[in-house]
Amino acid sequence: MKAPDNTAIPSWRRAGNRRRISLLFLVLLPTITSSYTMARLLPDRASIVLDALLVTVFGILFAWISVGFWAFMGGLFVLLTKRDRFRVSKSCDGRDFSIPDAEARTAILIPIYNEEVNRVFAGVRTVYRSLKQTGSLDRFDIFLLSDSTSPDVWVEEEEAWHDFRREEEGTEAHVFYRKRDNNIKRKSGNVADFCRRWGKNYRYMIVFDADSVMTGESMVRLVQIMEDRPDIGIIQTLPLAVNRETLIARVQQFANHVQGPLLAAGLHFWQLGDAQYCGHNAILRVEPFMKHCQLPRLPGKGTLSGDILSHDFVESALMCRAGYGIWLAYDIEGSYEETPPTLLDELKRDRRWCQGNLQHMRLIFTRGFFPAHRALFLNGILTYGSALLWLTFLIVNSAQAVSEALFEPIYMPILRKILPILPVWRPHWALSLLGSTTLLLFLPKLLSALPILVKDFRARMYGGPICLYLSVLLEVVLSMILTPIRMIFHSLFIISTLLGKSIGWGTQSRDDRGTTWKEAFAAHWWGTLLGAAWGGIVYWIIPSFFWWISPMIISLGLSIPISVVTGRASVGRFFRKLGLFLIPSEVRLPPILQDLEDNLERPPRYSPFGHSRKQGFLRAVVAPRTHSLHVAMLGRRTHEKASSKRREARKQLVEKALLLGPDALSAKEKNALLRDTERLRELHRGVWTLEDEEKAALWGLAMTRER
Amino acid sequence: MQNFEKTFSDSLPDAEEWRAARDRVLLYVRALDAPPLKDLELALESLGAAPSASPCDAMEALFGILEAHGLDQHPSGNSGDRLTSFPPINRGVMVAEPMDRVPWKTALVRSLRRRGRELLAGERAR
Repeated sequence: MKAPDNTAIPSWRRAGNRRRISLLFLVLLPTITSSYTMARLLPDRASIVLDALLVTVFGILFAWISVGFWAFMGGLFVLLTKRDRFRVSKSCDGRDFSIPDAEARTAILIPIYNEEVNRVFAGVRTVYRSLKQTGSLDRFDIFLLSDSTSPDVWVEEEEAWHDFRREEEGTEAHVFYRKRDNNIKRKSGNVADFCRRWGKNYRYMIVFDADSVMTGESMVRLVQIMEDRPDIGIIQTLPLAVNRETLIARVQQFANHVQGPLLAAGLHFWQLGDAQYCGHNAILRVEPFMKHCQLPRLPGKGTLSGDILSHDFVESALMCRAGYGIWLAYDIEGSYEETPPTLLDELKRDRRWCQGNLQHMRLIFTRGFFPAHRALFLNGILTYGSALLWLTFLIVNSAQAVSEALFEPIYMPILRKILPILPVWRPHWALSLLGSTTLLLFLPKLLSALPILVKDFRARMYGGPICLYLSVLLEVVLSMILTPIRMIFHSLFIISTLLGKSIGWGTQSRDDRGTTWKEAFAAHWWGTLLGAAWGGIVYWIIPSFFWWISPMIISLGLSIPISVVTGRASVGRFFRKLGLFLIPSEVRLPPILQDLEDNLERPPRYSPFGHSRKQGFLRAVVAPRTHSLHVAMLGRRTHEKASSKRREARKQLVEKALLLGPDALSAKEKNALLRDTERLRELHRGVWTLEDEEKAALWGLAMTRER
Repeated sequence: MQNFEKTFSDSLPDAEEWRAARDRVLLYVRALDAPPLKDLELALESLGAAPSASPCDAMEALFGILEAHGLDQHPSGNSGDRLTSFPPINRGVMVAEPMDRVPWKTALVRSLRRRGRELLAGERAR
């Protein structure tokens, strides 16, 4: 496929340029005005350095929240008027779910890393069956791309894949499983590895996250649009957050359902074909992706070097640079994901994203990137950078208030002026500044329910108009409570990243297990102390100022109970009973999510052992069927390749395992055995021929005796 | 019940000794998930063929029998003894395109080089 003709400027690009220039004015003019007002509000006798810092930080933050505000306003315009001549899904209106061109094959990629296997395969089964119902299954293949490092998860994945193939497919193969031996470049490397091996077989690929679910209809629609529009490189859908029960997750689900469509439509309004790819629930054109979107390693040492972590932003910039459009299909329904269940899980994810987004500082000026993508990089950096700016703003504010109280004012700076400088307090300026900032922050949230009420008439899917608005208000309250906690964590993430403290590749928690008091204390003790110390000092020196910062201080001081309570499924369910934070899928479960639920409840396969299905290594050694399957999938190659030294080491591992049992082996040792067919066979036979009953019991072969 | 136990202990003189071997073999054949009668046959055959009552001998006998019956085969795909979980590879390339992250620096270096070349060319011409 040839790159689209860049000489003819498409009409959307001209419209996009006009819109973005107007956005620039809409953001800059109020920012300059409010920064000027802020500067005039500051006391003249304060430090000029503090003043300058305060006004600069305020200006950046004001501009940033203004962008968000106008994004919402754009979305409100699109959703209320339903006028959108650039909607990408337009060509599919009224079409059936067929893909006429047999060559238009699509691979659905599900990169997984030590995930909950049962959940992953329930999703695969759901998506597979949904595709089957569209009648276009033969145009799709599903690839599970495993980077799992846990030996137990590896074996469990193999078993789950084999069971799926046996139960669903028979000889017809549409679901494939590939396990990488190394995790080079993490998720982006996993996708690139797929492209190098099988990319040439497919025209498109739809990338999932481990918890993504999409309906067959939505995926066929995406392919149809790509077929109609060869100038498009990527189409991103709007995944709706579902299936969680903890309070924080339910609140986020609600916000995602109510504000998400508005924001997505707004982003589409301003970005048009220069949108961004979020890394999952999106379709990509494979050939240009392979040609233009391979990510380099960032040279140098430190946390901002090496593999690019937030790869999706960069891939979209590269795709755009190659002349392909990236669109946000905000109106395609049937795309779902799950949110982190607790505040700590969310922060863990943010830690990763923060480092990835900060790496973009090194890419922002790359030659050939479109200004829109440079702005997206900046936006990504500010997503976390704004926290540090808010914190700086608040600290400087407190410092200034304290200095006001501690130091004598100088009314007659002799060297500067003849007349005394008297402090002038302009309350109406301060109030208008406060009002405009509050408006920018909260008006979009309050207006977000408007399309549901007046355009779609779907308020009953949110518990009715009263519950809907009550939930919107409560969401504002909860986000106000959580913002200070997020702020100090995000600030810490930024500082630690800039100081060179790197992060590992953790697995995201995908169940509602909640946060224990111990975990919350370990994570939030320093935030609590910070809040207490900050509040204490300010109250001691200038009590009147304390009340201005009290919401933040109280939130920080109570961060431990807040983290625990918001992470509780019982609290989330309580609010559900009250009809609050309801989302449509909680009122009427869509068929695809019902299927997912049913598939999650599938009973495990018959086994005479007491092993859990999560004890993958044990099963690969002991259970004959699992052992055979693993050996068959491994083939002979690994043993033949191994050096004599390594072979000897693995022999010793077998002896150690037989002597001390599976628990004596580390994950690395287990993986080494799982990679060696011969040694694994030897271990299997060795375990089953153990004479010593105690040793056999370590492998689950003990016979129970009556007592 | 007592009669049942008596009959069996009479027919197998070392019942206590064989118990561990029997249980181990039965567990293995159950885990194979073979047809119910077939697994019992296999267990019986291996216990009969075992030289002693130790679980080790019984299991070795079972492994021998499974091998002889071709029941130790691993699940396989179309391509022989290895079960492939993915389609044949159709190799492509994916190479990172150059990314000039500091274009002003590149431009400066280029212009200095050009200037240097011009100077050198001027020197040579003289």
